[in-house]
Amino acid sequence: MGGSIEVDGLRKVFQVREQGSGIKDALRYLFRPPTRDVVAVDGISFSIARGERVAFVGPNGAGKSTTIKMLTGILHPTAGEAHVLGLTPWKDRRALAYKLGTVFGQRTQLWYHLPARDTFRLLARIYDQDDAVHERRLGELVEAFALAPLLKKPVRQLSLGERMRCEIVASLLHKPEVLFLDEPTIGLDVTAKATIRDLIRDASVQDGSTVLLTSHDTGDMEHVCDRVIVINHGKLLLDQPVRELRRTYIRQKIVTLLTAEPRIELDLPGVTVRDRAPHRTVFEVDVSATPVERVVKAALELGRLRDLTVEDPPMEEIVKAIYARANP
Amino acid sequence: MRDAAKYIAVLRLSARETFRARGEVFARSVFMVILLVVFSRLWAAVGEGAGLAGIGPAQFLWYLALTEWVTLGIPLFYLSIEEDVRRGDVAYRLARPVSYVWSKLAEGLGQVLVRLVVLGIVALAVGRYLAGSWPDPRALLCALPLGVLACVVLLLIQVLIGLSVFWLHDGAPAFWMIQKFQFVFGGLFWPLDIYPGWMQSIAAWTPFSAAVYGVGRNALRYEPEVALRTAMILVLWIGILGALVAWAYRRSLRVVEVGGG
Repeated sequence: MGGSIEVDGLRKVFQVREQGSGIKDALRYLFRPPTRDVVAVDGISFSIARGERVAFVGPNGAGKSTTIKMLTGILHPTAGEAHVLGLTPWKDRRALAYKLGTVFGQRTQLWYHLPARDTFRLLARIYDQDDAVHERRLGELVEAFALAPLLKKPVRQLSLGERMRCEIVASLLHKPEVLFLDEPTIGLDVTAKATIRDLIRDASVQDGSTVLLTSHDTGDMEHVCDRVIVINHGKLLLDQPVRELRRTYIRQKIVTLLTAEPRIELDLPGVTVRDRAPHRTVFEVDVSATPVERVVKAALELGRLRDLTVEDPPMEEIVKAIYARANP
Repeated sequence: MRDAAKYIAVLRLSARETFRARGEVFARSVFMVILLVVFSRLWAAVGEGAGLAGIGPAQFLWYLALTEWVTLGIPLFYLSIEEDVRRGDVAYRLARPVSYVWSKLAEGLGQVLVRLVVLGIVALAVGRYLAGSWPDPRALLCALPLGVLACVVLLLIQVLIGLSVFWLHDGAPAFWMIQKFQFVFGGLFWPLDIYPGWMQSIAAWTPFSAAVYGVGRNALRYEPEVALRTAMILVLWIGILGALVAWAYRRSLRVVEVGGG
């Protein structure tokens, strides 16, 4: 497998304007605003092979989106080198655009009052796709993403999950070699998240495309990607296979129980109370000591269960754990 | 050539979307009817006493119908660009093999074309009802291409205002000021013929004189050579403003590429 993305010492420093309080500062800001350097990405290096699916994770402000913007050619770096499919993104942005697909979870490329089919047709024009090729490709994706019933509905009538399926299809239409996904499951419910994760993974396997995914949701990383790169404060913190990260850092699950009883106790190894309120208890479960099924079973035996949620620990906690391990 | 096909595809899709979301076009049509009724009555009252510049009520009504046709045909397009800048969408749209600013202009033109068709029908129907007669059909035919050219000029001005948000952070003050210039120097409510000479001279140096009065004056008198000259002036303004948009876009790209938008 040849290199798909090569990043070497990539660095981005933003100059941020700072405004003080008072009339004097306001006047100075008007004519000569004081600035402060903010290092968003601090000399990171990594390499991604063709067809690899890599999660690029970190807390808010870690530098994930800035890196993706540089790799798509939107942003020019302050220093360092990057090559995507052999091209320098900020020099060959337009040529590269034909080979890249992008999904930004909080932004849409679909026309709001029109059916998604119309946007797909426009994208075929924008990516210089031949009509016959477009129809064939769209047919494949419509089948894979089960879009047939949605194609003629105006986008405004689609649910968030349906819209996201259409967004991903829109990004895959021109068969990109590299797919950048920025928070593709943000705001979705559990079922929609699972569907989107499966679809992204399947599409990447089928097309042999490289995936670079950023997310706050550890589930996205676990279900879509084989490798994870963690950054924080613009620096690369960790680069390893997802299964290793899971073994080392994602041993915990957060189990929230809503019960008829105001208070319940679970005496199981590796299970601790994280938060408590009347009729609601949040447990932290070390799955290597006690599997989640046993926790649920024990809770059912104790009383009437009204609701139950099982979540991965937040990304911030994983990063904290990585830090703690690296700097004991 | 390939790029032209892309922008035409954007224009067509934008026209379809504007047609689907007809609420705003309907509201503008109602506003146009109210304006025509109120101002035609006003002009009839003033004109009868003063006989302003020899322009009769029917002529004035058709003048107003044409100037409003152009003015209301332009959407508040700068707001769309302003929103893209504020949300950071300009940056994300750079990852596509199509220019943001020219596809945005094509989008605006798609909106304009639907508005011009709908408002044109409304203006003809209400104008005929209120004036009781048709203007010279040859003059109306001249106004048609002039109206489209005028809208391109006015849309380019809005694109410039939209791009200015990269530096000014708010397009509203610039839009407010330019809109007032358009009303005054374009002769939106009163033909430039009744302005003092010095104001007519100033107006001639702005794009609004050709873009608004230049279209409306066809209702006052049919002069094909003047219409042709107006068309040439509008094309010249399209060139100037197009170059300004290209320059401003290049500058704003630098803001995005260096500062992240």
